Amino acid sequence: MEFLALVYTNPDGWGRLSEAEQAAAYEGYMAVSRDATAAGALVDASELESTAAATSVRVRNGEALVTDGPYAEVKESLGGYYLFSCDSLDEAIDWAAKIPAAWHGGAIEVRPVHVDEEAAA
Amino acid sequence: MKYAMLVYSDQSSWDSLSEEESARLRTESMPRWIALFEELGKADPNLVGRELVSASEAKVVRVVDGRTVVTDGPFAETKEQLGGVFLAELADLDEAIRLAALVPTAEHGTLEIRPLATR
Repeated sequence: MEFLALVYTNPDGWGRLSEAEQAAAYEGYMAVSRDATAAGALVDASELESTAAATSVRVRNGEALVTDGPYAEVKESLGGYYLFSCDSLDEAIDWAAKIPAAWHGGAIEVRPVHVDEEAAA
Repeated sequence: MKYAMLVYSDQSSWDSLSEEESARLRTESMPRWIALFEELGKADPNLVGRELVSASEAKVVRVVDGRTVVTDGPFAETKEQLGGVFLAELADLDEAIRLAALVPTAEHGTLEIRPLATR
C-alpha cells in the first residue's frame, strides 16, 4: 500500500527557530528520507517551493484561467511530501511522526493512495 | 524543472454518489484521463501520478511533548480537497499550465502548480 504524507508547515514557526535548530530540522527531513529508503518504504519525496511560487489553473467553459498564488490561503501551507510504501496505515503514521514539521507546530496529513482494483488484478 | 501539480476538487458531491454511479462516471471520464497520461508521459516518461482515497479518510499526525497524536483529517477544512498529485520534470511553467488544463478535474476544481525546491 502507498500513503502520501503531506507536510504542512507553519512559516512563522520556522522563522522562530535558530539557525542551528533549522539545520537540525532540515537534517531531520533528510533522515526520514534516508531511513525510509533503507527500509524500502520510500517511493518519492520532495520539498515544494513556497506558495509565493504557486500558480493555479482552472478551466471554465472551455477556457483556462490562470492565476498566481496557491489554491487556498491558509496559515499553514503544504511545504512538501513523502510518498511511503508500507504494509499498514499505522506504519505510515509511524513514519509521519518522524517528520520534523510534526513536532514544530505543523502537521502531517496521511492519505492512502487509491488502488485501481482492475489495474491491480 | 520539476513540478508538482496538485489536483483539488469538492469531494462531497463525489462522496455522496452510489458505487455504481461513481463507477459509471469513472468509466465515462477514462478516455480523457488516458489521453492526459499519454501527454504527461511524452513530457516526462518518469512521471509520478497518484489518485488519493477521499479526504474523509485522512489522518492528521502531530507530535506533542514527544507523544504522537493522531486525529481524523483532513488538515485544512476547505471546500476543495486534494484528490491527487502529479510529479513531473517539465520544460517550464507554460508546459505545466498546458498540461494542468488537460486534467478533467480542472473543469470543476483547481489545479495548483508548485515547483519542487532544489537545494
